[in-house]
Amino acid sequence: MEPSRQQSGARLSTFGVELEVHIASLRRYARALLRNRSDAEDLVQEALTRAVARADTFKAGTNLRAWLFTILHNVHVNQVRSKASRPDEVDVDSVESKLVTPARQEERVELREMMRALDDLPEEQRKVLLLVALEGLKYEEVAETLGVPIGTVMSRLSRAREAVRAKLANEGSVALRRVK
Amino acid sequence: MNAHCVTDDELHAYVDGQLAPERRLFVERWLADDPDAARRAEDYRAQAALLHELFDPVLREPASGPVEELTGKLRGRMPGNDNAAPWHARHWVRMAAAVMLIVGGAGGGWLGRGAVDQSPVVQQRQTLQTFAEEATQAHRFYTSDERFQVELGADNQDELNSWLSKRVGRDVFGPDLGGVGLRLIGGRSLPTELGAGAQYMYVNEANKRVTLFVGAPRSGNPAKFGFSQNGDVATIYWVEGPLAYALAGRMSKEDLLRVAEAVYNDVKAGPRRPEPQSQQNPQPQQQQQQEQQPQPQQDQPPAGVQPISDTHKPKDS
Repeated sequence: MEPSRQQSGARLSTFGVELEVHIASLRRYARALLRNRSDAEDLVQEALTRAVARADTFKAGTNLRAWLFTILHNVHVNQVRSKASRPDEVDVDSVESKLVTPARQEERVELREMMRALDDLPEEQRKVLLLVALEGLKYEEVAETLGVPIGTVMSRLSRAREAVRAKLANEGSVALRRVK
Repeated sequence: MNAHCVTDDELHAYVDGQLAPERRLFVERWLADDPDAARRAEDYRAQAALLHELFDPVLREPASGPVEELTGKLRGRMPGNDNAAPWHARHWVRMAAAVMLIVGGAGGGWLGRGAVDQSPVVQQRQTLQTFAEEATQAHRFYTSDERFQVELGADNQDELNSWLSKRVGRDVFGPDLGGVGLRLIGGRSLPTELGAGAQYMYVNEANKRVTLFVGAPRSGNPAKFGFSQNGDVATIYWVEGPLAYALAGRMSKEDLLRVAEAVYNDVKAGPRRPEPQSQQNPQPQQQQQQEQQPQPQQDQPPAGVQPISDTHKPKDS
């Protein structure tokens, strides 16, 4: 079905929705990565500032999502580098309390454990897992975004998933299973 | 055909929907024979569902001011942009983006993890998902046989609306979807977990059917909306004011979203009174919501589209 364009004031261009979708996706990813609302919005803000400055380097018809995620990733890497004094490990509970997502959600054991399992992953694995499982990026897009070969993406993904699986199983929320 | 030459990468690709179609059958056969692998696939999917549950709420939050501003700026700078910037439609745009990013709820059996959820937030979402499931089933059922598709036709839309409003216990009306090529053919009332619901049925020129299911949830939360894919039927659902809406059709998410946008706008504008001629309608809309959306052309049906009814009265009460 090909619905004709709606004649109303709120009509959206396809591009507008696409851009909006990608930016919403960036915001969700940034939050999952940083866990803190204002840090996440700052990261997205910084990335978009750069994207605006470099808008002319984007070629129409190429992958807008990968382009945006790549910029965000680079900004994040730079931020981490410049904030080297920041501690690597953050107390999970203190981070959780900062979440702006409704706190009630955290009451569910599974969700809390997923959060912890995510925290325990090395950042490189966490990024791959979030980009694939949460943001639905294609493996090639993840490789492009992170600047690594696709084989690396696949092995990080596999390790991340197995590590999370082992954690969730060990915590006993899911029926106890042997994990190889 | 050795199913065991399925690789670990392929298992991930299967879970992520990135497997080459021609390998799908092999992987599925492998999973059928290998309970361990099947459990892994199941667990990986459950992980994704948990991630969505944890972080999808971000999609419902408004972006910070600077992010909004930069989004607008970027929009203006990018090649391919048509510069039509409907930024007054913030709520809709945000909802549209979220619908595209939220993982399907009702259709994925793996989402049901058997956990008993007590929190009101989860309960409400489940209620809405149940509502969406009912809408999907009703769509499937009543589009399967043309003889039973509506209880009451749309010849007299006033009658249809007031009858369904009585059944639902709230004022409901069938929005005008002429702008997206859909004509209202009638409706029926159906029992749901939330009480009686109204199903409006629309048809396009190609005889394709779309149904809009309207019900009154016990408590409305305007921030809630979602998408589900059940087989070939896609459903977009949301809450607006005191009513919950579920739009179902056999079409892509993108196409259905466009119809949802039309529903959303028409519901916002409220039931209209189409003039026999395309005359400016000077009457203020009774149902005009508090949203600041300027909708200058909203009162007039698009040119070339037949009004569904020319006797439409504003709702009583």
